[in-house]
Amino acid sequence: MPGPYDIFVLIKQVPDQSSKAGINPDGTIDRAKAKRMLNPFDRYALQAALHTKKSYGGTVTAISMGPPNAVEVLLEALEHGVDKGVLLSDRRLAASDTLATAYALHKVVHWVGKFDLIFCGLQTTDGDTAQVGPQLAERLNLPQVTYCEDFSIVDSPVKEGENPRPACARRIIEGGLQHVRSELPLLVTVANSYHQLEYKSFRGAWKVRRLQRNPEELKQYITTVDLDLIQALPERCGLKGSPTIVAHTDKVGEIGGSCKMIEGLSPSDMVRDLLKQTNVKEFAKS
Amino acid sequence: MTNSEPKKEELKKTTGEVTLPVHETPRGNVLVVAEHILGDLQPVTLELLGAATLLAGKLGTRVLSVVCGFELGDIPQRLVAHGADVVYVAEHHELERYRTLPYRRVIVDLLESLPEPPHVMLLGSTTTGRDLAPRIAAHFETGLTADCTELDIGPYEHKNKMDPSKLGLYPDCLYAIRPSFGESLKARILGPWKNPQMATTRPGVMIPLKADPNRKGEIIRIPVNLKPEDHRLEVERIVREVASGLKLTEADVIVAGGYGINTADGFNLLRQLAECFENSAIGASRKVVDLGWIPYEHQVGQTGKTVRPKLYIACGISGAIQHRVGMSKSGLIIAINKDPDAPIFKFAHYGIVGDLYQIVPELIKQFKQVRKEQGVESVVHSH
Repeated sequence: MPGPYDIFVLIKQVPDQSSKAGINPDGTIDRAKAKRMLNPFDRYALQAALHTKKSYGGTVTAISMGPPNAVEVLLEALEHGVDKGVLLSDRRLAASDTLATAYALHKVVHWVGKFDLIFCGLQTTDGDTAQVGPQLAERLNLPQVTYCEDFSIVDSPVKEGENPRPACARRIIEGGLQHVRSELPLLVTVANSYHQLEYKSFRGAWKVRRLQRNPEELKQYITTVDLDLIQALPERCGLKGSPTIVAHTDKVGEIGGSCKMIEGLSPSDMVRDLLKQTNVKEFAKS
Repeated sequence: MTNSEPKKEELKKTTGEVTLPVHETPRGNVLVVAEHILGDLQPVTLELLGAATLLAGKLGTRVLSVVCGFELGDIPQRLVAHGADVVYVAEHHELERYRTLPYRRVIVDLLESLPEPPHVMLLGSTTTGRDLAPRIAAHFETGLTADCTELDIGPYEHKNKMDPSKLGLYPDCLYAIRPSFGESLKARILGPWKNPQMATTRPGVMIPLKADPNRKGEIIRIPVNLKPEDHRLEVERIVREVASGLKLTEADVIVAGGYGINTADGFNLLRQLAECFENSAIGASRKVVDLGWIPYEHQVGQTGKTVRPKLYIACGISGAIQHRVGMSKSGLIIAINKDPDAPIFKFAHYGIVGDLYQIVPELIKQFKQVRKEQGVESVVHSH
């Protein structure tokens, strides 16, 4: 039986875009006022990490980077059953693009220690780039599986002169699926077609409640680190370490703007009117 | 790769009260990484060649392309016919199927062998491009912008004094334009300090050139030197999607559902409506995919698919910019939404404000009636 494994899961706190709070009239986000949530894609990464631990043994460490508030997502991860959390928080990280973020994360990963597997969400809902996972894998010189929707570890017969490839994954590609086998350590970005995150356990929720009342005990579970502690160079982080900048934002012009509203007293009137005014009927099955 | 720090010529340009150095970089070529699945050239590659031709035209430079694979047949010639001036071809049996590390190795080696890095480097925002581009960008520590909807070349003045080494006027930047976080903003993202300036673009957005079989280009074979560490991951097999319903990108009619359908079961009603049409498919907004109401392959929008059906019926979709960029080029857009202020009513062609659970069943009913009147025998569905 393979295992146990040291598993890292990278999670991020993002603004909740379904809530109106903190959305400025010009469409930008006021992160201080916006409601905060765990990046939805990271829920699948958490599930993959916890499932791997449950199946093969080991420990799960959740790692996040963000302002002090981001400790909330680490607490949420503890409720779901991760063993400990590490928060990288430093004002000098502000305005980091994906490359600078991946640099800082690789430093914090090295600081936390040895690992067999790193799970990340496919992408975040506030950046949508899907770049940080592969960029971190490049920094750590790891093989990667992106768009992963199924993951397991199997005993693999070792071929002469080859290392074992115990990690077994299925990833989405255009028009199909790819089944891959990989050596460990490995970085995996998990797609939202992976299994849903299981509910928090009572024990986990109860533990986190207790920890929130005991800051001293909380420190045994969640460590906050800064750039100096993880020996990251400040000039490679934040705005300075970012090769890209957002130079300009435009309001998206209102295209068309000539929507014809169908009005009527009843749904049947409106539908009749719609079918009369448009050529929708031409698309009907014959 | 040669250091691509811009040569700081001591030309000074007065811009208002600030005097900025002008960074006249040599204008480099535009490189497109071609993509194919087992020899099947992907349409996004031809679209990228079209975009690259426009950018290289503005720079006054050439379009390069690189393709990795095995037994590529006429693919290099097709790349030339669609706009490439030079095609670098890496053929090796280990490159037959896309794998991150071997492809990364070949492209990194190629870039390091060029006398100057390309000015711009483009990949598709596909599962392959989004897997490969970040690794190359991280290796060269250069900027990469994901999922662009527009690309251009233009000047940029950097006045932020936080990092004095970045100050200056850059005449030929890649403008990588993408919808940004928030409802209604487009962000122009730049990284003029280092070449290649990289971007991925969504399939279906850029316009390919018409193929010209007489077009002449240079085809150059490049060496493939893989290292043992490039074989840490192997592809066991590729499974083609089982044809369960029509592909979203090929449908004539898409019936799409958003958060306004309230429950996952709402898609059953939308399926009944879709059943009324020829070549129809079901689409969805990201919100409902995130909620697990419907699988990812149905997602339309910035992080899903770009579609151009003849008819798009949006049910309970608010029409955020992320959704709009994936469907705004549809022939006829009909929106049904309870909220009269929903952004979708700003760009749909026809709108109905109302409860979709009243409108959609009525639509289905009247459709069936029309068909009866036309003497079409109704297929019996047991819903």
